[in-house]
Amino acid sequence: MKKIAISPPVAAVLLAIILFLLSGLLPNGYGSNTSIALAQATNILRLSVFLGIVAAGQTLVILSGSEGIDLSVGSTVTLTAILVYVICNGQDSMVLPALVVALLVGAIIGFVNGAGITYLRISPLVMTLGMAGVVTGLILVAQHGNVSGAVAPVMTQVIARPLVLGIPGAIIIWIVFALLIWLFLERTAFGKHLFAIGVNRTTARLSGINVNAMVLATYAIAGMLSGLGGFLVVGNAGVVFINIGNPFLFPSIAAVAVGGTLLTGGKGSYWGTMAGSLVLTLITSLLTTMQMPDSVRRMVLGATLLILISIYGRQKGFRQ
Amino acid sequence: MSVSLSARSIVKRYGGVVALADANLDVQSSETVALIGANGSGKSTLSKIINGVVVLDGGQLLLDGKTVHFSSPQAARKSGISTVFQELSLVPQMTVAENIWLAHEPLKRNGLVDSREVQKRTEELLALFEGTYKAVIRPDATIASLPPDEKQIIEILKAISFDPRLIILDEATASLDSRQVQRLFDLVQQWKQAGKAIIFVSHRMEEIFRIADRYSVLRNGYTVGEGLIKDITEKELVALMVEKATAASVGNRARQSPYQKTNQMLRLEVTDLKTDLLKGVNLQLGDGELLGIGGLKGQGQRDLLLALFGDIPYTGVVNISGEAVHFTHSRQAIQKGVALVPGERTKEGLLYLRSILENLFLPSWNQYGFPLRMRKARSDGQKVVDSLSLKMAGFDEPVSSLSGGNAQKVVIGKWLLRNPKLLLLDDPTKGVDVGTKAEFYKLLEKLCEQGTAILFYSSDDEELLGLCDRVLVMHDGIIRSELRGESLTRSNLIAASLGASDGRVE
Amino acid sequence: MKKINWQSFAFQRPYLFTLFLLFLAVVVNFIFQPNLFDRSTLNSNMRVFLPSIFLAAGQAVVLIGGGIDISVGSIVSIVNALLATQLGTEASPEKTALWLGIALVMGMLCGAVNGFFTAYLRLQPIITTYATSFLFAGIALYILPSPGGGIPGAISSFYREATPLGLPLAFYIIFLILLGWIFIRKTRYGRYLFAVGGQPDAAYETAVPVNSIQFSTYVISGLMAALAGIAISLLTSSGNAEIGDQLTLASVSAVVIGGTALRGGIGGVAGPVIGAIILGLIKNIISFANVDLWWQTFVNAAIIVLALAAPGIINLVRRKRP
Repeated sequence: MKKIAISPPVAAVLLAIILFLLSGLLPNGYGSNTSIALAQATNILRLSVFLGIVAAGQTLVILSGSEGIDLSVGSTVTLTAILVYVICNGQDSMVLPALVVALLVGAIIGFVNGAGITYLRISPLVMTLGMAGVVTGLILVAQHGNVSGAVAPVMTQVIARPLVLGIPGAIIIWIVFALLIWLFLERTAFGKHLFAIGVNRTTARLSGINVNAMVLATYAIAGMLSGLGGFLVVGNAGVVFINIGNPFLFPSIAAVAVGGTLLTGGKGSYWGTMAGSLVLTLITSLLTTMQMPDSVRRMVLGATLLILISIYGRQKGFRQ
Repeated sequence: MSVSLSARSIVKRYGGVVALADANLDVQSSETVALIGANGSGKSTLSKIINGVVVLDGGQLLLDGKTVHFSSPQAARKSGISTVFQELSLVPQMTVAENIWLAHEPLKRNGLVDSREVQKRTEELLALFEGTYKAVIRPDATIASLPPDEKQIIEILKAISFDPRLIILDEATASLDSRQVQRLFDLVQQWKQAGKAIIFVSHRMEEIFRIADRYSVLRNGYTVGEGLIKDITEKELVALMVEKATAASVGNRARQSPYQKTNQMLRLEVTDLKTDLLKGVNLQLGDGELLGIGGLKGQGQRDLLLALFGDIPYTGVVNISGEAVHFTHSRQAIQKGVALVPGERTKEGLLYLRSILENLFLPSWNQYGFPLRMRKARSDGQKVVDSLSLKMAGFDEPVSSLSGGNAQKVVIGKWLLRNPKLLLLDDPTKGVDVGTKAEFYKLLEKLCEQGTAILFYSSDDEELLGLCDRVLVMHDGIIRSELRGESLTRSNLIAASLGASDGRVE
Repeated sequence: MKKINWQSFAFQRPYLFTLFLLFLAVVVNFIFQPNLFDRSTLNSNMRVFLPSIFLAAGQAVVLIGGGIDISVGSIVSIVNALLATQLGTEASPEKTALWLGIALVMGMLCGAVNGFFTAYLRLQPIITTYATSFLFAGIALYILPSPGGGIPGAISSFYREATPLGLPLAFYIIFLILLGWIFIRKTRYGRYLFAVGGQPDAAYETAVPVNSIQFSTYVISGLMAALAGIAISLLTSSGNAEIGDQLTLASVSAVVIGGTALRGGIGGVAGPVIGAIILGLIKNIISFANVDLWWQTFVNAAIIVLALAAPGIINLVRRKRP
């Protein structure tokens, strides 16, 4: 397979554009109507925000190397979404406390993940998968009466509606978020150390880095970002249901992969994940427009990830 | 038995890098050919092409006069070529017997492994090195439980278990002590008498002149010289290996130890240091002093350095700059001005995927503020790069693009940026080409003049003799002898390495 | 300090901790369910555990070979969906046998897909089997969009009630699995497996056909998943495309609890089989201990996490002692 000279995030954006143009050709697509096309593009962008933010934590965890992965993302998003829903209860004044709770709960779940991975030497796959079960159990415990609550109006206003120049607030939030993540990864010692432990933990340790503390912090931050995701998701949807977080889990991993971040860690960027989120949201939305059942959506997403890692993810063979 | 192998005009490229441009080698029954070259010369690549691990891009391989194409190591092995690797091809969790007979276990008629036969044949093989083991090796011992020298012996036994016609010894003596090397060379003589051919890949001159009949020298992927060993001298061989005459002659030790001058600060004082391997080490090191640590491999040298750096737990008293310390993490050691250049460059010293800049500043980012002042980092980095004559395409190139010597310079540069007061070095010139070694020795001398205290473990006796003021020889977890001045001779070093007490014991 | 002794002892006998857990689980279960050892209870328990036992055995083989297969749950779903839709309650014995065979082939085919991408294209096992788990789940859902279908009564009652020589059918099956494993250990293939999982580079240089071995482990895992799918179909007599979702975590947990390290190269199949039984007993305990229905999922998950954490906690305590 010939080596692709374009950087993965750029390739992903190109793929997204191609997919979007294709969608215009569909029976109920926008055809040649540019204003509808613009509206649809904005909507896709807006929908990508949620996956994008949920996938940010996944990006950090995968960058940290040693088969880092976070399979508890889906259930964490659901739990925090429910908590926000209940705490807000329709009051604007409760938005900030709800957000803080969401971030805190997410961070705690992430911290438990990190602790199990560093101190108990449980592999990230097993630990986060196990925690996903625990969190799901907690959700059922919390839910066994039905949850009553409501989203605060200011949340809907900021997240779901256009904020400035007709641009939805969510997109603005995402841009600010992305810049902060970039700053965090590329212009702080923590970010440099994160890449380091992703490449070679021994070298990092022998260069003065506290690897355990880094891993712990990374998973805690990832959990916190899932909490943020939960806050935004419920703010966008306006309602909450038991599986609200599930559709984000698989795509969060796929987005990171599509964006070119090495799944072995140590190399990658959040821009790539953003591009990946775009692509995946587009695919999902295309399938919905074509009225494909959930089974087809799953097959397509699974196959897409498979194809993409075949292109990007090949590890060194034995023969050279 | 008769065998002949010819490699003609071999070419091999790895991406854009040409590892071999025109390599040639001829070897026949009953002779040993030494394949010699500096690091980066391509000698490992050539041996890998001969034994089928790597595919050649151009040229020909002739076995017994016929062109061959090895599609896998298996194919080469079936043709009678067996290799002893330096980087072991053993599975740590499996036993000695399982490893030796992996992929060619004697089978019973029903297809199951014949364990009794396996046991018998393993014991026969183990007997070949009898007398050179620390303790008796049992066939059902796991590889992970063996020390490096015994692992290497199992590697050798594994290679000969295939009853090969051509044996490649690729830096096979690196982990062996002198007794074991002698036994190996005895075996080589036996193999020659039986008609086998041997290729001896090495850069240890002394061994080459002991065992080889002919030589073939590689330089930058070209074969630059071939002939009979008896027709050439060591100096001429080295001259063939190196482009300029920068062959480091480490033999001149005219430097006076500053420690012998008065009132130099005692930088490091160690009392009764104990770890799993160390049984009570005492030493003192002053500013500007270059203290060497010698001895056979695995006697605790590495442990000593790691303990001082805070990477492994220990008991005992350590004073740095007069202050009692007990590091539990490298971070603390670094803060006190200690630096460690680790033994395995790729596995412990570098971040292979990341850029040269990121490698240089890995321990130092905390000092560049938030957000990181990248421009200052680049200019500080440039100063270090210049002082080390580091050849690179740019700061953002990945470290993997550098040659071995330059990569090691990055590791050193990483620590120079921190102006360490105490520099620990774990066999730093292993796998470094001759030219870079010379630069490295000059650098060490300069650092000493500037007052840095240096603790330097080397597996190369010549280096220790040539560079150090004093040498502490370690054996079995303690410092067996201290050699300095007149007692610092080659024979004393070797004697002390083998356990004989000579000179002052600290 | 000679801390090596305890570790090497436990290292060579990874089942020790597992057996202890088994003993604990049996005792606690017995407390809550005094008729645990009655023939019918034993039979009923074992046949419920059997699908997980198949999966644990298959997962063990993959893990020893250095990989991991998190698509097993979805393969189970495919097989279940396939059988439920193609057979129905009135299928003839010939048709049943045919489709059982097809189910096995289907499982091996899925395994081959996994094996192709991991062993020959050299993609990372976790992410590859995660992708295929989604793909396979979609296929299962496509075959059977909503729960339904059926399995012929004759064969499912055989599964449920058969007790040859007084012992549950499941015992014989477990015996066969263990026998198969002992046989594999004695062949060259078995050694290849451990070498490939322990140090793949070394294995390659020793002319072990690394790619084919790793490929074969996924095919075996797929086969075991198909067997698990058949077992679960016979157990429930119906089809549900999401039935496999919970089983993946259970298979990996069973292997971890059973003492097979996740890094490949060591371990056996007996431990994971016991691990699967332990997990089943835990589920039993929770339901018999009258835990509130809404709390059951949480408690089950928490216990699993604790069981996974236990070896790590033990090591931590040992390490901290001076």
